[in-house]
Amino acid sequence: MMGKLLSAEFMKIKRKGIWFLTVLGPIGVVAMQMVNYGVRKDYLFGQNDDRWGYYLDNIHSFTPLAIVLGIVILTSFMSSIENETNAWKQLMALPVSKMSVYLSKFTVLSLLLLISSVLLLLFTLAFGISLDLGGEIPYDGLLKYSFYPFFAALPVLALQLWAAAVSVNQGVPITLGIVGVILTYAGYALPDWLIWKWPLLLNEWEEPIINVLLGAGTGLFLYAAGMIDFVRRDVK
Amino acid sequence: MEYIVKTENLSKHFGQEKAVSGLEMKIPKGEIYGFLGPNGAGKTTTIRMLLGLMKPTSGRIEIFQNDLKQERLNILRRVGSLVESPSYYPHLTAKENLEALRKIVGVPKQRIDEVLEIVRLTAAGDKKVKGFSLGMKQRLGIAASLLNNPELLILDEPTNGLDPSGIIEIRNLIKSLPSECGMTVLISSHLLSEIDQMATTVGIVTKGKMIFQDSIEAMRMFAQQSVLLKVSESDKAWRTLLGRGMKAGLDNGIISLPEQSDENVAETVRGLVADGFSVYRVEEERRSLEDIFLQMTREEQAG
Repeated sequence: MMGKLLSAEFMKIKRKGIWFLTVLGPIGVVAMQMVNYGVRKDYLFGQNDDRWGYYLDNIHSFTPLAIVLGIVILTSFMSSIENETNAWKQLMALPVSKMSVYLSKFTVLSLLLLISSVLLLLFTLAFGISLDLGGEIPYDGLLKYSFYPFFAALPVLALQLWAAAVSVNQGVPITLGIVGVILTYAGYALPDWLIWKWPLLLNEWEEPIINVLLGAGTGLFLYAAGMIDFVRRDVK
Repeated sequence: MEYIVKTENLSKHFGQEKAVSGLEMKIPKGEIYGFLGPNGAGKTTTIRMLLGLMKPTSGRIEIFQNDLKQERLNILRRVGSLVESPSYYPHLTAKENLEALRKIVGVPKQRIDEVLEIVRLTAAGDKKVKGFSLGMKQRLGIAASLLNNPELLILDEPTNGLDPSGIIEIRNLIKSLPSECGMTVLISSHLLSEIDQMATTVGIVTKGKMIFQDSIEAMRMFAQQSVLLKVSESDKAWRTLLGRGMKAGLDNGIISLPEQSDENVAETVRGLVADGFSVYRVEEERRSLEDIFLQMTREEQAG
């Protein structure tokens, strides 16, 4: 059943600008550094002997914001597909379980974000090489900075999806999303337990992997809670 | 008798409000069941419960002799539905809309062209639904409900927004389904005339309660149509009719004859003409649903 639902979901996101956003996100993040390095390349090269590492840090300064913003916009687009003409009732009157409908939405969103992450890796690598940073290419760091934020942001995804799927008034998920983006933006100054800070990969132990594990675990928990609530409710 | 849909003491409460209470619905196989009631009577709530979109507060639903709670997916595989205003994906074409649903119900691709043909949307198949008129969207919704060749078709106000020729088309389509495809149809409406022309069985619901459920013939008896006559010298004509021992009423210069066979009406008119009265108009009084409701609820109280 999941296969059928997923292929139907991918069909429904056509012409919604969702694919465009998926590509635009990573381009935006790298484009910021294109401007940064374009304007003051020599200055930046002088900042740190590990030019690749410094470059990746710069890239990462915009990734969390892009991913949280991306999650908010994508979930709101995704739910607008069903909310616009209340197609939930049509979908749910088909022989599908509510759980699998919820899971298919979550899966499509996760796949889109993963694709963004892969693109981020490729664009980061390509622009890094074109900058002629010298030295070994730090593939470890590249993978880390491209995929860790995705896992660390899973709780935000689960929360936004739930809010968008159960709210009759779409102002609720959008408000939640805006607050989330602001929290991520101000993440440096916030306590570690806030899920919106996690994509920054900062914590008091200075171990980014903790954010990944926490993100995946909490994401799974919030996903399950959201799904249970979604199944329990009457269809709008 | 084999019932396709059977509910027992079905109730749904929203807080204090009892949208549906103690509803016992029985739909025999192969019937077109007209589900009639004013706005807000609980029709849509009932239909939503039949499709598992809402959980009943209490009571039981059996469809195809299986409990809906336990066999929801197996039951829905054999049910097609259109609930309230049509749902669609405006940024997709009609074909893509059906394709997105077809992938889930798993019928062959050619079925899309078939159902588009049935509702006469073939020409608009590759246009985006965004630009469709309400009537076209409604047809698309009906097409979607037919996609899986359902054994039970549930249509909530299917002729909403259709023009007169569209209404006739859809009506003929619905009428043909039981004999041609062996379907049982549940169709809701707030218009008696609509149900009158399609249904074979009728259930009337008001304030969440089923107040009548029987064949359409039984309801017609209940409804007691009367024939109105507009004649010259209505007062005198009325007395003449009474003099012949006929039941007749006089209201505002119009004579009304309660429930008469065609022969009786012809006989009465002939008599009046023979007595020198001019007959201007003979018409059937179409009772509105409200009149019938009033009559039914009144009799319910009296009984």
